[in-house]
Amino acid sequence: MAFTISTLAGNLDKLYEFDREPVSPDKFQSWSRFAGMFAGEHVAATEFVIGAFFVLHGVTARDLFFGLLFGNLLAVLSWALVCAPIAVRTRLTLYWYVRRIAGPGLMVVYNIANAILYCILAGAMISVSATAVGLAFKIKSPALTDVFPSSLGWVLIAASLGILFTTLAVLGFEKLSRFAQVCSPWIFVIFVAGALATLPKLGVRPDFSNFMEIARTKIWNGVAAAGQERLGFWHILFFAWFCNLAMHIGLSDMAVFRYAKRWTVGFLTAFGVYPGHMLAWIASGIMVAGIGREMNPGFMAYEAAGLAGVGGLLLAGWTTANPTLYRAGLALQSITPNWPRWKITATAGAATTVLACFPIVFMKLLDYVALYGLVLMPIGAIVFAEHWILPRLGLEQYRAENRGWIINLPALGVWVGTLIFVFLLPLHLYFKWLPGYVFAAAAYTALAALGRRTAC
Amino acid sequence: MLTRFGLLMRRPLFAVLALLSLALCLAFPVLRFLGRISVEGFRSGLLAASVAWFIFASLWAVKPKKN
Repeated sequence: MAFTISTLAGNLDKLYEFDREPVSPDKFQSWSRFAGMFAGEHVAATEFVIGAFFVLHGVTARDLFFGLLFGNLLAVLSWALVCAPIAVRTRLTLYWYVRRIAGPGLMVVYNIANAILYCILAGAMISVSATAVGLAFKIKSPALTDVFPSSLGWVLIAASLGILFTTLAVLGFEKLSRFAQVCSPWIFVIFVAGALATLPKLGVRPDFSNFMEIARTKIWNGVAAAGQERLGFWHILFFAWFCNLAMHIGLSDMAVFRYAKRWTVGFLTAFGVYPGHMLAWIASGIMVAGIGREMNPGFMAYEAAGLAGVGGLLLAGWTTANPTLYRAGLALQSITPNWPRWKITATAGAATTVLACFPIVFMKLLDYVALYGLVLMPIGAIVFAEHWILPRLGLEQYRAENRGWIINLPALGVWVGTLIFVFLLPLHLYFKWLPGYVFAAAAYTALAALGRRTAC
Repeated sequence: MLTRFGLLMRRPLFAVLALLSLALCLAFPVLRFLGRISVEGFRSGLLAASVAWFIFASLWAVKPKKN
């Protein structure tokens, strides 16, 4: 077993070899580069669904506005105060830092978990785009409660789109990434355009004088759709905060911030989250109200912005599914030694395509986003404890690396234990991660202290 | 036919045209919101401005090859 895990870890190490060394000062990037990069992020096909779901979940205008304002602020603070300082001090990617802390074996497990989660996320993006294509063929979009494919037509469209996206990712990931940079400002403009053009339909006057009244009564009116749970201020605040949990608290974005001169660059993430996770969500909420609160992103985009809207939805799905498929492939590469790049991407794409046929992946997107962050969050807590808490308590850091452990068993135990703990917590899914994070950091610190006592 | 060199020389022009196209993408919904154009006019205008954005932004994105 140890040999197998070592072999897998060795394969992974080769993949990430190019960024094994800490970033040198000559590679640091300016703040304007970071601001530009963040501004282009966080506008994906899923934004068409998330903002619309808030309307269907009966959020009030006040709860939505303040929830998003403060939730995104907490997300920015998490990047700036948790992720960026560790990245700037270590100048390493999360991959290499977790490898030092938790051992190469646990890194393999983490990568596989990440690959599965990425496939589901890419599946959701393809599903959302499929609603746009389905419109052209008059195929009914799945209902809110659908788990399994609703029709053969839906399966054919979702599968065709999945195959198309995968083929394009196989043919040229890098060219598509460059194309995505061209798309991202336009996609954001499509959100704004769709919302603005929908406002007269809802009765908003050209001088905006009755906007708040329409917002309170026709858009975010506090009435949940049938079968949908009603969400309030705290739900929205926590959702905006944990939406990128794996990136900030989970520390994935160490890969980005290790190029920053100072940790304060973390505050620049505000350039990404406020347009993407506030304005775009508000815009999609307005658009869904314009079609009578029906969860059909393709129809919604067409009604709001015509063919450009449909194109925006398709491109948003395609350009965001593409890097997600790439990341899933990269994570899977550890268990597929000597496979060429295309074969791994095709495998990840095949899994993603099957998942995309199941409407549950986007109909339960809000819950999935919560679960995604929840599963990876304990690793962030372990790294935080190892980096900040252990040295302050005089406990030895990097025991896995110092002793050549394949797997840091206390870290594995804390990861699994935290997931059990949060599962048993009698709290709403959205609120579970925060006590889970505290639990994970405390449990890992306690186990590290206990380990030293045992060693003594 | 434009050579790569020709494309690179015209990058500032493509940048201006791309940004103008994007501004037009915003102008059409504003005009629709103000009731100055019909839904069809808004949709056609937005589509045309979007196509223009993709053409000019793609040309603007052409960068010199590194040695």
